[in-house]
Amino acid sequence: MNLIWVILCGISLLFGLLKNRADLLNQVLVQIGMDTFDFALPVIVTTCFFNGIMEIARECGVLDQLQKLLQPFLNKLFPDVPSDHPSLGYIGANIVINMFGLGFAATPSGLKAMEHLQKLNHDKKQASRPMVTFLVLNTAGVTLFSTNIIAYRMAEGSVDVTRYLPLAIASTCCASLAGLLLDRWWNYR
Amino acid sequence: MLVWQDFFWTGGGTIAELSQMLLPVFFLMLCAVSLIQGINAYDAFVKGVKDGMKLTVSIFPSLMAMILLINLLDCAELFDLLSDMISPMISFLPSEILAMCCFRPISGGASMALMVQILRTFGADSLYGTMASVIQGSTDTTLYVIALYFSSVGIKKIKNALWIGLFADFVGIVAAIFLTVHFF
Repeated sequence: MNLIWVILCGISLLFGLLKNRADLLNQVLVQIGMDTFDFALPVIVTTCFFNGIMEIARECGVLDQLQKLLQPFLNKLFPDVPSDHPSLGYIGANIVINMFGLGFAATPSGLKAMEHLQKLNHDKKQASRPMVTFLVLNTAGVTLFSTNIIAYRMAEGSVDVTRYLPLAIASTCCASLAGLLLDRWWNYR
Repeated sequence: MLVWQDFFWTGGGTIAELSQMLLPVFFLMLCAVSLIQGINAYDAFVKGVKDGMKLTVSIFPSLMAMILLINLLDCAELFDLLSDMISPMISFLPSEILAMCCFRPISGGASMALMVQILRTFGADSLYGTMASVIQGSTDTTLYVIALYFSSVGIKKIKNALWIGLFADFVGIVAAIFLTVHFF
């Protein structure tokens, strides 16, 4: 990330200077604080609200229920992991939290899951098969409900905030399915 | 051709009507369940908001880094350069959407910032505004997840995780574009 960021920043500064746009570049740099603030403020407020709603859902046991529903499915997906292994619980929680679009809230359970999978791993330097499957589930995971996107759409004055949702759910399903199939074909043949 | 509303109980309802019901009904269900189970929903809500506050404060620095980068790229007209290179192949999409597709697997912050720019330029409820939202929702940031998760347990060789992740992203983004064009 560091490399990408520095190089891209450098290139655009260079291009900007070559194109005689020093005034515009200067303006960008001076205003970046205010720009970020304007950008972030509506989002912070709405994300806070949705986080509150999700916390109620968690307390009500909605997340636990979903996790239980996923159990048989997880046993199929991770044949290398014993079915009562603690890592599966964390993977389940991670998937469920991701489903509700709380990417950052999902990270702690994801890290726990990796820790437990590493205990099962024979070669500590190389990723195991369940780890790769978990990564695919995580990066291409099905998201039912992205609070961030809804927050930004609200902030930008959308009349119908959740209109994108059915389409997003369909394409996220395509992505997960494609990732899992490729993983199966490549790693479990 | 199958129509969306055939799948749902709303009968004559449209996607718009259905999706507008989603949030209120979900909230109503939560209220009911918390009453039945005797859960302190108010405290839970307040705690969740507090956590959300911490969360957003913690991503603010990386958000600023990303917005800086995007503003600089925009200022140097590099997005236009990029889309000039790709657009002969995919001519029906605006350059902002193409740039977003490129950034989606690399940085969630960057693609999110681009999404907001698209929402602003084209309108949140326009075809491209909807498309940008769908693209953003279709996958997660592969590079970030891989870097974070594997480094946390000290794994050096990630096998084919990156390729599978990027492939899934690609399929998700292509599906997002086609589904939006088809059902919008």
